[in-house]
Amino acid sequence: MKDETLREVEQFLYKEARLLDSRRFSEWLELLSDDLRYWMPTRSNRYPVNSKAISILDASRYEEEEVSGEDELALMEETKDTLERRVARLDTGMAWAEDPPSRTRHIITNIEVEAADSADQLRVYSNFVMYRNRSETDQDFYVGSREDVLRREGGRLRISSRKIILDQNVLLAKNLSNFF
Amino acid sequence: MVLDVNSLVDADAGLISRRIFIEDEIYQEELERIFARCWLFLCHESQIPNPGDFLTTYMGEDSVLVIRDTSGKIGAFLNVCAHRGNRLCRADNGNASAFTCAYHGWTYGNNGDLQGVPNLKDAYYDDLDRTKWSLIPVAQLDTYKGLVFATFDNNAPSLIDYLGEMAWYLDCFFDRREGGVEVVGGVHKWIIPCNWKLPAENFGGDAYHVAWNHLSALTSGFTQAPAARQTLGGGTISPGNGHCILAVGADDYAAAPVEIIQEYEESIRAETVERLGPRLLKMTPNVGTLFPHMSFLRGSSRSFRVWHPKGPDKIEVISCQFVDKAAPPEVKEALRVTGLRAFGPSGVLEQDDMDNWEECTRINRGAVTRRYALNYQMGLGHDSFDDGLGGWSSDFRISDSNPRHFYRRWASLMQADTWDQV
Repeated sequence: MKDETLREVEQFLYKEARLLDSRRFSEWLELLSDDLRYWMPTRSNRYPVNSKAISILDASRYEEEEVSGEDELALMEETKDTLERRVARLDTGMAWAEDPPSRTRHIITNIEVEAADSADQLRVYSNFVMYRNRSETDQDFYVGSREDVLRREGGRLRISSRKIILDQNVLLAKNLSNFF
Repeated sequence: MVLDVNSLVDADAGLISRRIFIEDEIYQEELERIFARCWLFLCHESQIPNPGDFLTTYMGEDSVLVIRDTSGKIGAFLNVCAHRGNRLCRADNGNASAFTCAYHGWTYGNNGDLQGVPNLKDAYYDDLDRTKWSLIPVAQLDTYKGLVFATFDNNAPSLIDYLGEMAWYLDCFFDRREGGVEVVGGVHKWIIPCNWKLPAENFGGDAYHVAWNHLSALTSGFTQAPAARQTLGGGTISPGNGHCILAVGADDYAAAPVEIIQEYEESIRAETVERLGPRLLKMTPNVGTLFPHMSFLRGSSRSFRVWHPKGPDKIEVISCQFVDKAAPPEVKEALRVTGLRAFGPSGVLEQDDMDNWEECTRINRGAVTRRYALNYQMGLGHDSFDDGLGGWSSDFRISDSNPRHFYRRWASLMQADTWDQV
């Protein structure tokens, strides 16, 4: 991967984080492709097949995968349209989970860029720490990884797919009212 | 401690003490008198369909392992090794013929029997009666229309008696079509710093908050405002034993504003009325709470959840989505994705509820604040027993009638030493 491309992707992700943390959500939406898939699956505690904690009765059906499937419940499963509606909701003056709003800080690290399926796309891995402070003393740390597909559209990078893997089983925050 | 329960709940006057939402002494009594005695929801049968399938959950604060054994029978046990009391199973779900404790290796069969004890011959001199050290089972376990319940109390009434008239209302959610419902894969689990009774009474009786607290979700197109629907009537129904149901008008399908879902509801209308009977022509049950802490809804999301208590000011929610088993795949998919955008941690409706319940709990730490009773007086004197509905019903669709019945039951259980006194 060319150094120039790496820098471009890094700057793109940092700018995105800054827009989110400054609550410039309409500008953030402009970074998203119209066919966006934005997905945060859940994580289960499951014994691996070689675990000695259980003797598996029916090995043919045993499910070791800890990340929920695409046909299962997810913590978030959004399109550009539903994210636009979520942003519109924040502007109603009655989105109580964000009124007064959270103070967020997205720390984006471990950025890797790979070629994707087509020449105009890049597969980008990153890690995040998202700190949320709200009200007087509330605080939440959301830590995880993202796998994005960025697409070059009219000379600009846009996010066409984002898979967010959160490193929690029981979500320790009372809600997910911010973007990742 | 002897609690003066009458000073905490005066349902006739619509006054509830804030102390029951924050004080640990009261909470400890709840664990004994409510959670260690009542029938509590464990799971839906479709979550453990095959021999060996298991999942872990809670009954009160007790960790519970629910297993379909090799013969196909469902059992539930304290998820605790009998030896040193270690948590036996640390997985959310899976499939097993046996479970082995991580500490010393005691092994239990999926029917709870203690099968293996390392060093049984040399260290125990073969002098351990393994039949006395099995997993500790629940006292009673029973199912209703695929819903699995258990109680720790041998003297609790039968499940069907505990449900009473609520059974028909459960049918309106879980048995509308042949085959009942199936659970969508995966669960939502999250922590809310609130007292367990706040979400229980919200789902059971709070039609009041919808038009204000959730207006932003209504206007941004995630669900429909009741006022915008062609609806007549609806109401609050208390079918007895502390159970609560909210209903919208009979001509309202209580479904998300998604074409394929609305069309589906239209297409099965005659079938559901035929199956559930003419009572369904009076109203459409759309939300409810089964006492004490299982809630369910069938509107912008089709979800059931349990508000597991974790102290007076904390809960862990375990929430699942369900769909009619007989529904076409594209309807199931539309329900799944619409539902998780509305209810769950990121749900545009539910995320605002969590904030309210947290603040309604935490504010009661103030000793002076705690002296002032809460107001549950809406519609006092404007509810009556409706023979047609088989329960107490409010004259207007918004009322505190259901919470008053919920807390009357709570107070009764908190005082009663035996079920005869409840």
